[in-house]
Amino acid sequence: MNTEKSETGEGKKGGGDVIVETVSRLMVPFIQLFALYVIIHGAGGPGGGFQGGVIFGASFVLLVIAFGIVKAGDRFPEGINRAFTSLGVYIYAGVGLLCIILSLGVAQYLNYGFIPLTAHFEENRALGMDLVEIGIGITVMAVITSIFFNLVWKREESEEEGGGEEVQE
Amino acid sequence: MKLISLSALLFVIFLGALFIYVAEDIPDFGDPNSAPNRYVNLSISMDAAEAATNLNKGIVPEELVNDLEVRGFREDELPAGVKKIKEGEWDAFIIPEEKHYYHKEQKYYFIKKEGDKLWVYRYAPIIRYIEEGENETEVPNMVTYGLADYRAYDTLGETTVIFTAGVAVILLLRRREKRPEVR
Repeated sequence: MNTEKSETGEGKKGGGDVIVETVSRLMVPFIQLFALYVIIHGAGGPGGGFQGGVIFGASFVLLVIAFGIVKAGDRFPEGINRAFTSLGVYIYAGVGLLCIILSLGVAQYLNYGFIPLTAHFEENRALGMDLVEIGIGITVMAVITSIFFNLVWKREESEEEGGGEEVQE
Repeated sequence: MKLISLSALLFVIFLGALFIYVAEDIPDFGDPNSAPNRYVNLSISMDAAEAATNLNKGIVPEELVNDLEVRGFREDELPAGVKKIKEGEWDAFIIPEEKHYYHKEQKYYFIKKEGDKLWVYRYAPIIRYIEEGENETEVPNMVTYGLADYRAYDTLGETTVIFTAGVAVILLLRRREKRPEVR
């Protein structure tokens, strides 16, 4: 029992397989690029903020699976992730508020046509939708990542505590 | 105890029967042109012989306007013009008071000849989004403009729900600060 546990523990500390590490290190940038593609092309084709955010979060999940939570988690600034969690909602709500401010109170909340990005009302709506999708993507990415990281940290901690008790006995 | 389980079984059977009945009652679910998705019957009928000639000329029949007023439709929801689609089917238009979003007349009522009576339907709001959404938003993806533009409040709420879930997990499961000392 003890040897098995220490082996798995060492594997998590120093990372796992070399092949898994290398392949995931190569794959993660492409997954993130694809996630950005899905978010940006949410207006033109299949995709959107929710889907792209989930793909972006999945790239971090892959990092944790390949390198172990200690190695990947130390490289991952949790405070910034926590800020991103609320930043997306702030972008969404801020775009809505911007419509009221820039139209001097004429437009309703979240009426993107009144943000003067271009000369046309309809194109403003399309661009406002893109901004909102980016906000959704940021929030979903940060939430997926933080849920996964917190769950894995919790499990790691309880395993460590359990192992320590056994050693003491 | 036995009474409770028996009544629960009866309740489940009743709910199952209700679901089957409702599922049978929805015709062609998923088809945007099926009746409940495209238009709703207002149960207003007119005599075909008198009204059809007026409708073909583009004149709104008096009795239709009166019936709609009795039903409690607002002043700007009463039909202002009629257009023939094909034999026995007409679209009735309204001119909304609100000019910025509805800067032209809106397709609102659908009149159909069935037997020797004309039945009046009201178009579902989704028809407007399907037919004019791309012109209004310059976005070809119907899902996106439905989700992020017409239903933007709803999506803001969904994003807030996800944010709340993340905050709850952070509050409940956040690792304690003692972790670095272990390594």
